Amino acid sequence: MKILVCIKQVPDSEGAISISNSGKGTEFEGTYRMNHFDEFALEEALRIREKMPVETIDAVSVGPARVESTVRKALEMGASRGIHIFTDGAKHIPPLETATRIASFAGEESYDIILAGVMAEDDMQSLVGPMIAEILGYPSASSVICEDIDQEKGTLYAEREIESGMRECLEMKLPALLTIQSGINRPRYPALSHVLRARTQEITMLAAHPGEKPETREEIVTLRYPEATTKGLFLEGDKKEKARELIDILHEKSII
Amino acid sequence: MSDMIKKKQIVVIAEHRQGNMTPVTGETLSLARELGSLLDLETIIIILGKSMENQASQIAGMTGMDVIGIEGEGVELYNCEAYLAALTGPLEALDPHYIVLPHTAMGYDLAPRLAVRLRASSITAVEHLSHKGESATFLRSQWNGKIILEVAPLTERTVVTVLPGSWPELDENPEKPGQVTIIPFNTLTGHSKTTGIKEAGRTEFDLTKADVIVAAGRGLGKEENLPVIYELSGIFPKSAVGASRAGCDAGWFDYGQQIGITGKTVSPNLYIACGISGSTQHIAGMKGSRMVVAINTDPAASIFGIADYCIVEDLTTFIPCLLEEYEIFSRLHQDSE
Repeated sequence: MKILVCIKQVPDSEGAISISNSGKGTEFEGTYRMNHFDEFALEEALRIREKMPVETIDAVSVGPARVESTVRKALEMGASRGIHIFTDGAKHIPPLETATRIASFAGEESYDIILAGVMAEDDMQSLVGPMIAEILGYPSASSVICEDIDQEKGTLYAEREIESGMRECLEMKLPALLTIQSGINRPRYPALSHVLRARTQEITMLAAHPGEKPETREEIVTLRYPEATTKGLFLEGDKKEKARELIDILHEKSII
Repeated sequence: MSDMIKKKQIVVIAEHRQGNMTPVTGETLSLARELGSLLDLETIIIILGKSMENQASQIAGMTGMDVIGIEGEGVELYNCEAYLAALTGPLEALDPHYIVLPHTAMGYDLAPRLAVRLRASSITAVEHLSHKGESATFLRSQWNGKIILEVAPLTERTVVTVLPGSWPELDENPEKPGQVTIIPFNTLTGHSKTTGIKEAGRTEFDLTKADVIVAAGRGLGKEENLPVIYELSGIFPKSAVGASRAGCDAGWFDYGQQIGITGKTVSPNLYIACGISGSTQHIAGMKGSRMVVAINTDPAASIFGIADYCIVEDLTTFIPCLLEEYEIFSRLHQDSE
């Protein structure tokens, strides 16, 4: 059984994000880290390995030089191998390009299961995972909250989270791709032995093939900050004054 | 089907549960209507299921739009592979400019694959429409609502998903019903099968019936701070405690308490958001609340964009202070009665 986990490096939400002068890109001051949803995906892969023989858990990420630290984090958590598909420059990579590059790598390696987070915290598009499955012709399920693999039969059972607190149950043939919903598990802190091993472990660097770059299908017209709505009233004063004012308001509205 | 093709169209993939079109499909139809009047395009609805004649006619009557029902055993329940197989042919034949789906568990599962298969651009979780010259542009949130992105497709075809709560449900009184076409679908893909739908687990809290909801998120900081949330909820009759996804992921709340796209949609008289930044996913689940109070340390938090009353404070110190003041208030109030 071979597992691939797709991970994305995202800006940490503690940092400061602003729109660049061109109005078409963002500037970020702060640190980068692994997308939380991908941590759940990687943790799920590690748990599968605890239950059954797994030949390898590979972690792959697409992006510029800084992405290496996130691939290394995956090794620290317990991935067997880290793969960095290197793209030049800091420009935003369209989801279809990321998906095409990962699919091109994954197709050669014949993974049984490909996992990804349900979305990236920064762009929140939920596109890359299912796109990889479509390119490879694998069945896929997104927002998966539990799964059970039958290695002998080459099948898996998955439950995906849908609206109103319900779950959809699926049976799929391997190879398959799942995007993992948060809360499926508790991602572990890296064990010291893994951290030490990861420090010196080599990361497989692959150059992004220029010929594989798909045509750009969407154009960013502009980025803007949400309009400051004049609707809301900011309560003034110290804690006590704000608390009193809120109570007056709730009383006026006959809520208390 | 050829006589139905008048001009390049908008196709809406409808979602239904227990024989009824979901409300968010009605919202999706409103986007289609707006897009259609902007670009002078017709909307066709496609709905898939085991036996669609009745439901398709009902929708055609309700909306005045043409409806295609694709029916067969394999699409009785939503399944990504089966839907893709059933939709590809009809969509290639219709060759619409836009394919629009609700941004739900169905929409975000299907849209990316549909876009790749149909060589279309894909824009997900759209909240507003605009235009640049004669073409439509789509607005969506990024970075937890801190930035709004306006995107224009560069392709002939575009797949769009619509964020729940962004448009009102379509409310039409058509003079005549749309035309209904039924297409049988009998192919089975065999690689994936939806076997059923089940309840996620116990939900003790009937959030959808509460008059007041106190909800907490990451800003709660640690489990030890939980009691203040329940104490605050306790001062209101018919109240319940809810949470953001982050609050549930942290293990502080049951997933049955989650409000947002994958959780519950609520519209209480009063919603108090405590330490919730206000991601689009969360806001989509509570924006129907009649009054919103937000407590957050970050004055730039997007929850303040939709709150009626904004309090820039740390909830862990503010709520105890609020409870104290409430004590004083209720004593005074009792005395004066």
